[in-house]
Amino acid sequence: MSWVVLLLVALPFASAALSLFVGHRGEVAERGIAVGASAIGLGLAFVVAFPHLGDATPLGHVFARTSAAGPAIELSVYVDQLTAAMLLLAHTVAFLVQVYSLGYMAGDPRYPSYAALISIFTGAMTLVVVADDLWVLLVGWELMGMCSYFLISHHWELREARAGAVKAFLMTRTADLGLLFAIIVLGVRFDTYRISTIMGEIADGGFGRDELWLPALLVTAAVIGKSAQFPLHTWLPDAMPGPTPISALIHAATMVAAGVFLVARTFPLYLSAPAALTTLALVASLTMIISATYALFTNDLKRVLAWSTVSQLAYMFGALAVGAYAAGVLHLLAHGAFKALLFLAAGSVVHAVGTTSMSAMGGLREKLPDTFVTMTVGFGALAGVVPLVGFFTKDAVIGSVWDAARHGHLVWPWVAWVLFASTVLTAVLTVAYSLRAWLMVFLTAAPPLAAEPAVSEAAEPHEAPLSMKVPLYLLTVPTLLGGLVVVYPQAVFGDGEYHLVHPGLAVVMTLLVVATALAVAWQWRRSGGRDPWHPFVLPHPAVDRVYAVGVVRPVRWLARTVRAGDRDVIDRYADGAGAATRGLGWVLRQAQTGNVQTYLMVVVVGACAIAVAAGVAS
Amino acid sequence: MSWVQVIFVLLALVAVGSALLVVTTRNMVHAALWLVVTLGAIAGVYLVLAAEFLAWVQVLIYVGAVVVLLLFALMLTKAPTGPQPDLDVARTVPAAVVAVLVGALLVATVVAGFSDVALDLEGTVVGSAQSTGATVFEKWVLPFEVLSVLLLAALIGAIVLSRGDEMVESAETTETARRGGR
Amino acid sequence: MGDSLPLWWPLVLACVLFAIGVYGVLVRRNAVLVLMGVELMLNAVNINLVAFDAYFRDVVHGGQTLALFVIVIAAAEIGLALAIVLRVFRTHGHIEVDALRELADRDEPPADAGADRLDDRAEADQPQEAR
Repeated sequence: MSWVVLLLVALPFASAALSLFVGHRGEVAERGIAVGASAIGLGLAFVVAFPHLGDATPLGHVFARTSAAGPAIELSVYVDQLTAAMLLLAHTVAFLVQVYSLGYMAGDPRYPSYAALISIFTGAMTLVVVADDLWVLLVGWELMGMCSYFLISHHWELREARAGAVKAFLMTRTADLGLLFAIIVLGVRFDTYRISTIMGEIADGGFGRDELWLPALLVTAAVIGKSAQFPLHTWLPDAMPGPTPISALIHAATMVAAGVFLVARTFPLYLSAPAALTTLALVASLTMIISATYALFTNDLKRVLAWSTVSQLAYMFGALAVGAYAAGVLHLLAHGAFKALLFLAAGSVVHAVGTTSMSAMGGLREKLPDTFVTMTVGFGALAGVVPLVGFFTKDAVIGSVWDAARHGHLVWPWVAWVLFASTVLTAVLTVAYSLRAWLMVFLTAAPPLAAEPAVSEAAEPHEAPLSMKVPLYLLTVPTLLGGLVVVYPQAVFGDGEYHLVHPGLAVVMTLLVVATALAVAWQWRRSGGRDPWHPFVLPHPAVDRVYAVGVVRPVRWLARTVRAGDRDVIDRYADGAGAATRGLGWVLRQAQTGNVQTYLMVVVVGACAIAVAAGVAS
Repeated sequence: MSWVQVIFVLLALVAVGSALLVVTTRNMVHAALWLVVTLGAIAGVYLVLAAEFLAWVQVLIYVGAVVVLLLFALMLTKAPTGPQPDLDVARTVPAAVVAVLVGALLVATVVAGFSDVALDLEGTVVGSAQSTGATVFEKWVLPFEVLSVLLLAALIGAIVLSRGDEMVESAETTETARRGGR
Repeated sequence: MGDSLPLWWPLVLACVLFAIGVYGVLVRRNAVLVLMGVELMLNAVNINLVAFDAYFRDVVHGGQTLALFVIVIAAAEIGLALAIVLRVFRTHGHIEVDALRELADRDEPPADAGADRLDDRAEADQPQEAR
């Protein structure tokens, strides 16, 4: 079985290499490689994952190890229930995105590199979730960041794409320093880099409360960057100029969720350091409200979904912060499904209409029926409508926070109450922005055609091709049926006590959802069937201004100074040496007058001088 | 003072005087003529120093050929006859200083080295044609042959250098003449 | 007394003539006059050679023979030199040596380079072009 895991990791990289070599030869070959390898990877993921769900014993295997000074670095894997679930999520979404891209990226000349990068990303994600060595995990982590950078800037001729890619890369990379230092600290403390060993030792006890606060906080810093939480939350919406399938895969379902995965993977470390849990809880509370507010007022469909992702990630962190492991992970899986669905459906809308601006959309219910149905399911799950999966997992999260607030002992009660208030408020805001987006995209009357009908770009929006529709429908299946897993979590996590269903709270939340929906719908009607509230231009997130003044400007100033120093100081010496030589040459050249008699005179005088000198010397 | 010495002094004065006139006169043709006088005086000096053949060769070649060649050159370069005001460079003093310096240096060296030596002209072998010819063709044959090659090279070189446009012009003129001046 | 001449008399004569020749070369503007100065110098050298030949009573008559050779070489040299002078006269129209400054080493060519050249006589080295 362990060789299957190795194959599972290696296959995407091999297919990427093959794509890069063969891809430009033929479109059919390239598509075949991309989708075929992805399908095989999905099959292998099933083979690896299903035997390790539920009560199965985790699989651990070491393939190779280095022998160097200090703890050995090993190429080792560890497949437990968490890994299995993440594998299923990652490979399924990756495969569906590859299929979807056949239609979405048809005719794109950069398709081979695009498909290859998706494969590399899939391999990196697999590496992260199966890794049992901290350094191997870091390698996969950074590879994911690299793929994200390249894929956001897929349309690198657009300035926003380049800017967004650089911003994402810089922010996540800076935060990854936290992970690097955490690895070093853990390695020094435990004399090994193996995750399962370290977590086992911590879980066995013997560590004082907050004794491991430093590595826990460092990991928290890393996940704040990777999963776009405050104060590093601004890169995710700016990554939207990338192709929509990429937004679905990387910035909704898998890469940003890797932060949540890491917290879950190192959960014993967190449980032993409540300081980190408190930090996580407070950050999550703040983030979920800020991002939901931004989603409420933005006009760009993809940005709504991006801010929504940030908000839902905060939900997952909130659940983990109060110790609700199962709730957090299940919400991760559910979010992966319905957010991927939403993004892919948004891609279908964008593909049809040609713009992401919601004020230019409308009346698409008749024109894009399949997209309408699937996107409705997605928005419903996001808003928490019964009986979609989002309802169940959100309820599980809010319920666990409620329990922790009332009688939890991991974090201080006031922190849990703050978190609870945030989750409830965010749930309301989520309903509001989901409904607003749904109304503006589909049910609003179509905007008047500003351009001439003869122009082909202003042709009637048409439904997506089959390669785009099938993934949409396939993703509605877990969205509709996922609630069963929440009700019966032993299928995924094995035997244990789970408090995931809170009937009373569920009823209250549903009532809140309905009330909010009615309010928004009424407001929508009142404003004439267009934007429910006045177009309101939100200021740019304040943190970006802080970064611009505090980081970007000093760095640019430093760069300018260095360049001026090089040019004015160092180059001056070089140029001065050249100029001095030229000047010296000019001085010496004055003797070359071209007048032969002058030369002769000099020669004669010189000969006389030599004669005199010889005579005097002898 | 013996007769030899007197004659020598007279010849020397003539040579130096006419040499000075060669380099200072304002008339180019006069300079060539004063050069003739100088070379003739030097031929006399050779006679005093018992180099007969050399004296005659000096007159034949230097006075006869070289000076004539110089006069031809003056003619071909359209040298203006009559006194010219600008025959010397603008600043003559540095040149004079250098010349005086060279002269002083050489004279000092010579006088310091040979002030107490005397030539005995009685017992010298006179450099007659017979003795010179014997010496050249017995002891100095190789340099003699090399010298003839040198002369040949100089001859060819002079022809090549001075040919140039003249041949071209003459070819063109004959060409136009053949076509009847069109 | 007998026929004895202090050696330094002919030698001093040679030195003075040589110095006058140097002056002639350095001070005259016309190339032919410069060549006259060169001839003076060559003759001075010849006097030197002959004087020493008389002093040493050389069996192989080295001095006189070498003086003979010097005369030959001087004749060859003046033939070539005058050919060059004529060449210069053809291209420039004059033979003033202090106006021929094209070999001066300057950043830009000397301001009067080519100013002393004749206009209708191009490079006389390429007879083919003229044809």
